[in-house]
Amino acid sequence: MSEAFVPKILVLATEKCAYPGADAVGKAHQEYPSNVYILRVPSPVLFPEDFYLDCYGKGIDGVLIAACGSDCPYHGAYEQLAARIDQLTSHMNAGGLGIERIRLTAICTVCIKAFLKEIALMSDNLYRLGRVDRKLAGQLRRESLNRLQGSVRALDLAPALQGGL
Amino acid sequence: MTLKRDAMSNKNEFDKARTGKHEELACGEPAHSDEALTQQQITLAQLQSESILQPENAKQELRIGVYICRCGGNISDVVDVERVAETVRMIPGVATAKVHTFVCSDPGQHMISNDILEENLDRVVVASCTPFLHEQTFRGAVSRGGMNPYLYEHVNIREQASWAHKHDPEGATAKAIRMIAGAVGKLRYAQPLEQIKLPNHRRALVIGGGIAGMKAAADLAARGIKVLLVETAEQLGGRLNQWSHVYPSERPAAELVAELSRRVHHDPNIEVLLGWKITEVAGFIGNFKIAAESLQPSMTRPPRIEATVGAIIMATGFRPYVPRDGEFLYRTEPCVVTLPEFIQLMQSTSQDAKKLTHRNQTIRNVAFLHCVGSRQLDGVHEPGADGRLNTYCSRTCCTTILQQALAVRRRFPHVGVFDFNQDIRTYGRGEEDYYAEASKSGVVFFRYNGEEPPTVHITPSGHAQSGALSVAVKDALTWGQELEVPVDMVVLGTGMMPGQIEDLIDQMKLATGEDGFLQEVHPKLRPVELAVNGVLLAGTVQGPMNISETLSAAGAAAVKAAAMFAREDVELNPYVAEVDLSRCCGEAQCVTQCAYEGALSIVEIEVDGEMITRAQVNAGLCVGCGACVAVCPHRAIDVNGWRLDQFEAMVEGIAADMPGQTCASELVSIH
Repeated sequence: MSEAFVPKILVLATEKCAYPGADAVGKAHQEYPSNVYILRVPSPVLFPEDFYLDCYGKGIDGVLIAACGSDCPYHGAYEQLAARIDQLTSHMNAGGLGIERIRLTAICTVCIKAFLKEIALMSDNLYRLGRVDRKLAGQLRRESLNRLQGSVRALDLAPALQGGL
Repeated sequence: MTLKRDAMSNKNEFDKARTGKHEELACGEPAHSDEALTQQQITLAQLQSESILQPENAKQELRIGVYICRCGGNISDVVDVERVAETVRMIPGVATAKVHTFVCSDPGQHMISNDILEENLDRVVVASCTPFLHEQTFRGAVSRGGMNPYLYEHVNIREQASWAHKHDPEGATAKAIRMIAGAVGKLRYAQPLEQIKLPNHRRALVIGGGIAGMKAAADLAARGIKVLLVETAEQLGGRLNQWSHVYPSERPAAELVAELSRRVHHDPNIEVLLGWKITEVAGFIGNFKIAAESLQPSMTRPPRIEATVGAIIMATGFRPYVPRDGEFLYRTEPCVVTLPEFIQLMQSTSQDAKKLTHRNQTIRNVAFLHCVGSRQLDGVHEPGADGRLNTYCSRTCCTTILQQALAVRRRFPHVGVFDFNQDIRTYGRGEEDYYAEASKSGVVFFRYNGEEPPTVHITPSGHAQSGALSVAVKDALTWGQELEVPVDMVVLGTGMMPGQIEDLIDQMKLATGEDGFLQEVHPKLRPVELAVNGVLLAGTVQGPMNISETLSAAGAAAVKAAAMFAREDVELNPYVAEVDLSRCCGEAQCVTQCAYEGALSIVEIEVDGEMITRAQVNAGLCVGCGACVAVCPHRAIDVNGWRLDQFEAMVEGIAADMPGQTCASELVSIH
């Protein structure tokens, strides 16, 4: 614990845009800190809120969602993703994790400068904020799971289930 | 119906409410009976406990092989690959970890397939370059070893480690270890997958009827494949119709066009649409739905047609660079012309003519300027309308200029020819001869530094004198002497620009390079393929090429398409959503999120004589975006190959203090 704090940054990079964008940074031999871990995803829309909170619970200090933005190859996925991150951010803020550990941005296949800028921004924030409170994140994750399950009761199932299929 | 292999088996002994034949009790009719409601609450209560969201299908007894590539130093100069191997060997489940100089080489791939057989490996990780380069290569290698290709995981430690953290070898090494630990975690939850097979429409669309399109169409048709060739102009031939003789054979361009267009027009396998434009492209390899519109609709022509094709060959060519008004006095002085304009002038001048004249003016001295609109430098040249500089070499102008210079000297020996270049790039077979012959014939060469290009002026002495124009140059061949050469005509050696195909690029989501030309997957390994499967490149749509190179590329694209058509089905990655019927309660949360008509629906299925409602995926329509995954409260739907538990395992591998350890989530207190 006495070691100097180096934040762990997770980048969820879309396969069509941001992941090749991150490749372009390497191809151009531009450097960024090695504590940045990039995961290739078809679209981050597949992650529920609790996934992000689970990341913090596991010790990831910041999550950068590098999506395709308006170039998203999937209908409506970016809008759904943006709405979810909006919700998540407000839950994180209300729960005490703050809003600076998560960021949704669009990175294109040649957006080298934008990628480096986003990494630098997240990195600065995290050095200022310090380690993530993993216990708190775990608590928020449980709350988020409760909300997800609550959504079943809230949903009006009548059209799907009552009127016959 | 997408059924999980053991979906209905009663594998969760501890949890009868969610499994097998009891599941209709759990949530078959969730909202409308008290009993069901109670049962549903039980399910929800269980979900709230940690254990249920911990995926139970993680395979514990694994034999994973990890292969770390040096990439000939590209990786190992920064990442301590031996230490990576030593460390990842300690991760539970890793049976072997080896380092190789080029894992993608034949010996490297053999090593993997042999190890699978000899060491009984059941999962493989390769840590090397970006997955876009070699994921398919290594899937092939593991298949040859008898393993399911989707039990393979690719880790990118070149573009996203060694190249990006060059000055932090320690950090890059640690990152490589963590990323591999993440991949091992992901493989714990991996399941063997089968590719999705869809019918392959054995017909190709060739867009563009220039020499590339004609060649590709003719070659494909010769292999018995139906081709639809669509050209916007009313005749075949494209840019070649503007050229006179082609180097190095010096054959008339018209002969080439005639020969190829005869093959195209007479082949019953080829349908040619002249004066048509492709307006819509949708779908995927084997199943592209396209629409074309007639540019000049008439009584005999329908205004629009639709077709289904299996492959698309892009042969839309280039657009010549047109100098800006006033660039080297172009469009200010009538005797400043572009190279294509000069070729037209030479062609329209009678072979018997004793004098070379342009607009009633006798040309006694002519200057050729190389690299106009090519090899542009920031700060020296003005960017084009799109803000882009053409930094590339157009590759064909040097030889064409020397061909024309030589032709002038041979046909009009009294005309002086002056050549202004940065350097001469006559790189192809027979092309250097033009340089040698032009020198012998008396062409005078000047060489300038790219940062100080020559300038064109109107001479003060006026048009009647010997040369109305002059070219000023700082000549490197005479150690930087500033020279001024009076001439009557200046020919601008204009190069190639990307064609105007923005709408096609947009619709098909094609990748372009920084230069604006279409970009191949890999310049050496996959030179005529685009990242969009089933779309191929033929000729100058990809970048400047001469006619020989264009024909080679078009031939290669035709062979690639033919190879694709050799299979009856198109095989697609199985990355589509799948419902875990042992968990699904038919609540339809997922269906509300799905934007693709018919991809996800609620159906009634019969289990042990009782009807229950469940979500069902149509694999042909599902795009695998995962919008359904995030909203399921039961973790009952996932995208194959990208399962949520796999992502959670990857994060665990990355975040753990020691590779292979669990993070123990929030139970760990670090304060």
